[in-house]
Amino acid sequence: MDGTSIGWLALPLAILGGAIRVSTPFIFVSIGELITEKSGRINLGLEGTLMLGAMAGYAISYLSGSPWLGVLSAGLAGMAFGLLHGLLCSVKRVNDTAIGISLIVLGTGLAFFLGKPLIEPKAPPLPSIGLGFWSTVPQVRAALDVNALFFVGIALAFAVYLFLNRTGWGLMLRTVGDSEDAARALGFPVLRVRIIATMAGGFLAGIGGSFLSLSYPGSWSEGLSSGQGIMAVALVIFARWRSVNALSASLLFGGAGALGPALQGIGVTGYYYLFNAAPYILTLAIMVASTSRAAPFADAPGELKLHR
Amino acid sequence: MSSISGIEPVPSKPLVTAAQLSVALPVLAVLLASAIFAAFVALYGQNPATVFGLIVQGGFGSSFAWQDTLSRAAPLVLVGLAAAIPAQAGLVIIGGEGALVLGGLAGAVVTLPFAGAHALPMQLLMLLAGALIGGLWFGLAGVLRQYRGVNETISSLLLSYIGIAVFHHLTEGMLRDPASLDKPSTHPIDPSYMLPTLPGVGVHAGLAVSLLLAIAAHVVLRYTRWGFALRVVGGSARVARMMGLAVNRWIIGASVVAGGMAGIAGAIEVAAVQGTANSSLIVGYGYSGILVAFLARHQPLAIVAVALLIGGMQASASLLQRRLGLPDATMLVFQGLIFVCVLVADAIAQQLRETTRR
Amino acid sequence: MTAPQVELRNMTKRFGANLALNNVSLLIRSGTVHALLGENGAGKSTLVKCLVGFYHPDEGHIQVDAREHRLNSPKDADALGIGMVYQHFTLVPSMTVAQNLVVSGARLPAYINWQSELRRLAEVTKKLPFHVPLDVRVSQLSAGEKQKAEIVKQLYLGRKLLILDEPTSVLTPAEADEVLGHVRSLTRTGVLSAILISHKFHEVRRFADDVTVLRRGASVRTGAVADLTDDALAEAMIGEPVSKIVQHAPKSPPRSDIILSISDLRVNGDNGLPAVKDLSLEVRAGEIVGIAGVSGNGQLELVEALMGQRDRSGTMTVSGSPFNGTRREIARLGVYGLPQEPLKNACIDRMSLAENLALRNFDRVPLCRGIAMNYGALAQQAERLVAQFRVKAPSLTASMSTLSGGNVQRAVLARELTQDVRLLVASNPTFGLDFVACEETYRRILEARNRGTAVLLISEDLDELLGLVDRVLVMSAGRIVHEVSAEGADKRVIGKYMAGMKAA
Repeated sequence: MDGTSIGWLALPLAILGGAIRVSTPFIFVSIGELITEKSGRINLGLEGTLMLGAMAGYAISYLSGSPWLGVLSAGLAGMAFGLLHGLLCSVKRVNDTAIGISLIVLGTGLAFFLGKPLIEPKAPPLPSIGLGFWSTVPQVRAALDVNALFFVGIALAFAVYLFLNRTGWGLMLRTVGDSEDAARALGFPVLRVRIIATMAGGFLAGIGGSFLSLSYPGSWSEGLSSGQGIMAVALVIFARWRSVNALSASLLFGGAGALGPALQGIGVTGYYYLFNAAPYILTLAIMVASTSRAAPFADAPGELKLHR
Repeated sequence: MSSISGIEPVPSKPLVTAAQLSVALPVLAVLLASAIFAAFVALYGQNPATVFGLIVQGGFGSSFAWQDTLSRAAPLVLVGLAAAIPAQAGLVIIGGEGALVLGGLAGAVVTLPFAGAHALPMQLLMLLAGALIGGLWFGLAGVLRQYRGVNETISSLLLSYIGIAVFHHLTEGMLRDPASLDKPSTHPIDPSYMLPTLPGVGVHAGLAVSLLLAIAAHVVLRYTRWGFALRVVGGSARVARMMGLAVNRWIIGASVVAGGMAGIAGAIEVAAVQGTANSSLIVGYGYSGILVAFLARHQPLAIVAVALLIGGMQASASLLQRRLGLPDATMLVFQGLIFVCVLVADAIAQQLRETTRR
Repeated sequence: MTAPQVELRNMTKRFGANLALNNVSLLIRSGTVHALLGENGAGKSTLVKCLVGFYHPDEGHIQVDAREHRLNSPKDADALGIGMVYQHFTLVPSMTVAQNLVVSGARLPAYINWQSELRRLAEVTKKLPFHVPLDVRVSQLSAGEKQKAEIVKQLYLGRKLLILDEPTSVLTPAEADEVLGHVRSLTRTGVLSAILISHKFHEVRRFADDVTVLRRGASVRTGAVADLTDDALAEAMIGEPVSKIVQHAPKSPPRSDIILSISDLRVNGDNGLPAVKDLSLEVRAGEIVGIAGVSGNGQLELVEALMGQRDRSGTMTVSGSPFNGTRREIARLGVYGLPQEPLKNACIDRMSLAENLALRNFDRVPLCRGIAMNYGALAQQAERLVAQFRVKAPSLTASMSTLSGGNVQRAVLARELTQDVRLLVASNPTFGLDFVACEETYRRILEARNRGTAVLLISEDLDELLGLVDRVLVMSAGRIVHEVSAEGADKRVIGKYMAGMKAA
């Protein structure tokens, strides 16, 4: 790549392109978790869901030749896993956090087990839209080569906003998550709503996972996801449970995740691991900042048990 | 219990006592998980009986298998303790991996400046270094929780990833041994400092260290006022504060001790097995530790037994791979199933205990 | 449809071995307020939950306007116009009143156009006797406004039989009068019939037409309020002739040494805003000082600050020494507490009864020598305390969660009062307890007082307070706004200060 013609612009461009890319799974996983948390449940097992989605998406894309079919199957796989989480957490007195962790183990195990034969073959990837067609500079072209799912994600954020504020179903979801007493008094099926919300969260997380295997990095391997599930939970808190905020927060996280590869791209090779740790450090910093404010959980759904 | 005024004699004998229940339910959970696992492997065209037979054989079928199992159990006991001790204080910390590798790194480099010293003080130094660094890492999660209200499950997992990044950075960077070309590692430690093998058992002394620590944890939790105070804090921090207990100190203290356990596990891996710190230390002990802790209901002595079980399962993985072509992940699936079933069994036990009201 | 007449006949409900309702029958006449009186656990909640379709009675009939009905779910109750206003609010805190009204409507619209919806709601609610702001988030309303919003919601939904479950427990006397007065006039004008669950005789007398007394699941008295005296009601509630007001031990005059001294106390609430502002007070040895106030005015934060559970600024000294809530100070200065809901706030529910009885002294001789615990001594102490305070439990090793509320309180009394108590901080200690446990608690507190303990009693029950204390302080919006000696105190004046009015 000829970097001399645009000089120092190469780095921010690389970060921009990377941010869009890396943020895409975050958008889906965090909005999915947002829906789940709006119903009063927290799903810490998303890591496992991501892996299952990635594996399922890759497998179906390879077998059917259509990456979009792969995305759909990833969503369905995630939904099934979300159903499992929802059912398990409905058992009275069960420890939600521990269930989440156990599902990370189970989900990851299943994904690795079923995905063993998928390490070699190459599945058709998701298409991207070259928004940089107007430029002759290769870096600009690369940065603006946006994958299709990103646009789906943006639409999703606004759709979820409308859902939560302008529809009857959305109000019911918020009631269930904010005050179980009120929900019961109104005869809302609390358990069913929570399970469906967890399924929806799983569906979206599965789609987020499919992006990892079908777009970036774009192949199936066992190191595909590393902590995105957990970071999504922090992201939702940071976004104060608002879907449009989650969109911008995902881009922020995406930028942090793109830092390492972008710097490598322009030749900065020292501190490689530390730069790659940027998303985790950012997440930690955000969590500390979010919870230090006077009323950290003022916007949290009332039934969500984050607080001690 | 003698009849004392005020205590009503229990009118009818309950079918099972609470103690019997607390042992029976986890066992039932493991059986259920095994049944589901059996169905799973059957779906893959394998005979479940063969699979279970190989698991038993690979883990416990020969003295070689036992050695393998025991040497895997040693770090599992420690990471199990690393999860169980904070659990007694009401925390769910799953960052064992990060503390372990950093502890191993500390152990690997701390003796490098010393040449020709006696083995024992060097070994103690390595364990101590591992404990300190690991304790620091978990302690950070504890501090963030108490002073900033950050959820410790999330922060410990994040710190674990950060810890692994730091580990890679240092082992491939300034602590790297230039002679290690394919696999970046630290300078190997003096072979005379490595932990000896236990006579008769054929496993390194790290096993003895972990057993001793498990027993110590058991004694402290059950028989000392520290254990009592910790359980009060874990039962309700609010009430503990009302009783004047310095809750922050207890929680951070428990986190540090727990992190120390994970750090010692890493140091033992270096001092007894690897002899150097490199990516071989990263094998996924983090989640196994949590599983061991929950399966053992956070009781240190039960952790030893469970660690043996899980260690045996891990040991049999290569046998399953060779004989039946089943990937490593098979055991992960089994462990996940056990974990889920145990959690549900736990919840049911809780419910049963609470329905015996009045 | 005018106010309905509702008849319940032979209602019976079992929960396992527990007979919660035993053949209860009562008649709510059209356009009247029918009070349901009874202690905690008498069955009032269970009865009304059958009426709103939450529970299915094992036996019994429900007739509305002489027609038999089966209530299988809350929807069936809705259809009959039966609605309930709960003690704890059932409004969604993060949503506005308008959003709450929409979400509680009979049919949830698929898509909501807020502009037109708000207009419609404003028009409908204009006709109602109550007024509550539509656009404000429920979490920002006061308790009284929330209560009114709840009632507006029921009226908006077209309810004809309104069930009010202890509606005034979180209101000032003036707010309570207002709310109940509105309900009364609505029944008088035939708009609705109402069931009022209460344990306050004066409320029943002033606002109800008929009353039914429940005891242990059975109806023991029913009839017009005018025909029953307070004594008759009390006797029906408790089941034995009430020997006027229980004779408390004669009060000796308080001593002069100041035990508790607080000055300029400032405490922040969970939301970061000050809940207690520049509060100062003193309690002497052998004196009970009561703090009256409606819940939510900083009492919880004050108690937590006193017990070392919440950060504070300002000074607090006990017997002259600064007190910060450390374990050593507690033992040395003798500061102990009786919080409300003792299972949640004073006990570790998963630890055993014996261990809970040792929470104060598990690290002292003889229960502990050095680091080692002596569980034998711990059990002995438990046996002793259980006998002395008559705590009923399956065994000493039973988990605390298996004890009934009254016995949990007895255990807490046993643990706290057998230490060397110089200062006792009691906060709504009898909330949710049955009559016998209440009286026992009062007796023990008075005994402690007569032994020279300084007692600070925070209570939301003004009657309870006035019966026990020497001095009354009124807390409103985080400050002490009024102080008066208990003898000859005027409840109405106190009530006004509780409501936040500056001058009586």
